[in-house]
Amino acid sequence: MIRIDSEPWAAMVSHARKTYPNECCGAMLGVIEDGVKTVHEALPLENAFAGAQAARYELRPEDLLAADRAARARNMDLIGIYHSHPDCDAYFSETDLKNSCPWYSFVVLSIRNGEFHHANSWLPNAEQTEAAKEELSYE
Amino acid sequence: MAKVLIPTPLRQYTGKQDTVHAPGATVGEVLNALTTQYPDLRKQLFNDQGKVRSFVNVYLNDEDIRYLSKDSTPAKDGDTISLVPSIAGGSAAVAPPAALSNDEILRYSRHLIIPEVGIEGQQKLKAARVLLIGAGGLGAPLGLYLTAAGVGHIGMVDFDVVDFTNLQRQVIHATADVGRKKLDSAAAKMQAINPHVEITKHETALSSENALDILKDYDIVVDGTDNFPTRYLVNDACVLLGKPNVYGSIFRFEGQATVFAYEGGPCYRCLYPEPPPPGLVPSCAEGGVLGILPGTIGLIQATETVKLILGIGEPLVGRLLLYDALGMRFRELKLRKNPECPVCGEHPTVTKLIDYQQFCGVPRQEPVQEKQETRVNEGEIDVTEVKAKLDRGDKFVLIDVREPHEYKICNIPGAKLIPLGEFPKHVGEFDPNADIVIHCRSGMRSAKACAILRQAGFQHVRNMVGGILAWSDKVDPSVPKY
Repeated sequence: MIRIDSEPWAAMVSHARKTYPNECCGAMLGVIEDGVKTVHEALPLENAFAGAQAARYELRPEDLLAADRAARARNMDLIGIYHSHPDCDAYFSETDLKNSCPWYSFVVLSIRNGEFHHANSWLPNAEQTEAAKEELSYE
Repeated sequence: MAKVLIPTPLRQYTGKQDTVHAPGATVGEVLNALTTQYPDLRKQLFNDQGKVRSFVNVYLNDEDIRYLSKDSTPAKDGDTISLVPSIAGGSAAVAPPAALSNDEILRYSRHLIIPEVGIEGQQKLKAARVLLIGAGGLGAPLGLYLTAAGVGHIGMVDFDVVDFTNLQRQVIHATADVGRKKLDSAAAKMQAINPHVEITKHETALSSENALDILKDYDIVVDGTDNFPTRYLVNDACVLLGKPNVYGSIFRFEGQATVFAYEGGPCYRCLYPEPPPPGLVPSCAEGGVLGILPGTIGLIQATETVKLILGIGEPLVGRLLLYDALGMRFRELKLRKNPECPVCGEHPTVTKLIDYQQFCGVPRQEPVQEKQETRVNEGEIDVTEVKAKLDRGDKFVLIDVREPHEYKICNIPGAKLIPLGEFPKHVGEFDPNADIVIHCRSGMRSAKACAILRQAGFQHVRNMVGGILAWSDKVDPSVPKY
């Protein structure tokens, strides 16, 4: 399961609302203890998708590398990626799946009319053929 | 030994270590040593074929090794190798497979029984969105065959109308279509072949202002244009949007095809960083083209498009296919991605669309004017005045700078034939004070000849506006136009 502290959660929702009607994306830093992931910090990253961003996002590998370094520097780990689905449910789309990585939790925030609606966390497999829903809690 | 930074989720396979030192002279060797040391890690990083998984980017210090020497990139002591996933996504579903109706299953049955295509492949074709730039020579076979093959959504960009001179090769248009918009003519034929295909007509000249907006809704762009500004525009827009550009070009008896801007592959600018000087490479209208040729090249483009959609075979990426119809030979040139490429290189300087007319040194095209209203500027002369001079028996020299085979099609009696290519050698034969009028087919080549004479100090040189085409329109309709 994945727990998101209130501060990073507020930052993620605010990021998603700010970029609405486009998608936002970012990294989640935290710790893993006894199989429970706890997010202590959200790191908003730039949506680098070249083209309409209302329904697409892309992370620059360099940004991810920097996020990983930032996590190490703060004695945390890069444990997840978040992005928003403007005016859509927080499903894990085919596009999400085909561009995913099994190493992280993928938190999707559904934003409707500019306001947070609901969220889910997903764990894709290495073959990028399916993603399991992960228990998610946030404050 | 280089050190490898292990991402958190993989540390369970490295005994919880976040940094592992592994021997090897190259990045490939280091990764091999690493995964030999920690076999469970191998499955995470490599697929069953032993290739690094598609979502894993390998960085040496701050550089992606794809842009260095890939696996053979040298690794030194103190170097840091990082494993960085590539992550993207979005709510945009890669459209859920569109179910095929019984009519469609029957129609596509010869596809469905090929194991490499099958129902799944046909559904991919149906879900695909392909944009054809140009509904002319290359666009004709592309439009017909991609429609027949069941590409679900085809867009076409064109603003031209069908002309008699198109019919020798643009087989999507019929004689009765002359004067009709090419888009309407082409769409009607395509819809008649396959009513299941959705066709979008973009009746416009592709420009820096509209290109990204038009291209963004398509998966694959097929370039069937015959001018350099549009070619660079299509290339740059495809690179910026990350869409493959299925390229083809034709001239007389020869053609070329390749796929540009495909992930990791070269783009048009990697091959040709700079456009040729304006006028050096003639277009089909200027140089002619064997009518069958665009069929061959257009269908190579169509084949590559279908392969890209189906994800089968070996795409024509990094290879320029050259076709010589006279020798009936295909050759292949290797193309490499240029790390210095101004648009797809490591440090791109072209990050948005530019003014391609200016880049190619082509003057911006004036809005099309009615032929009758052709303006006559300084240094130019109207065909009717040339006719009057001939009728009056004025003393002047009329020079035709076309080719001998064009002269045979039609000519103006009394004109002296000197093809433009040989023209500079003959400059000395004329009196610099003589009254000289030069013509060609449409006025382009004669303008160059005029410039040559003026540079040589000739005072009274005029270009016959509109060439022999205007002569046929305004002076003598019995002269055929070509």
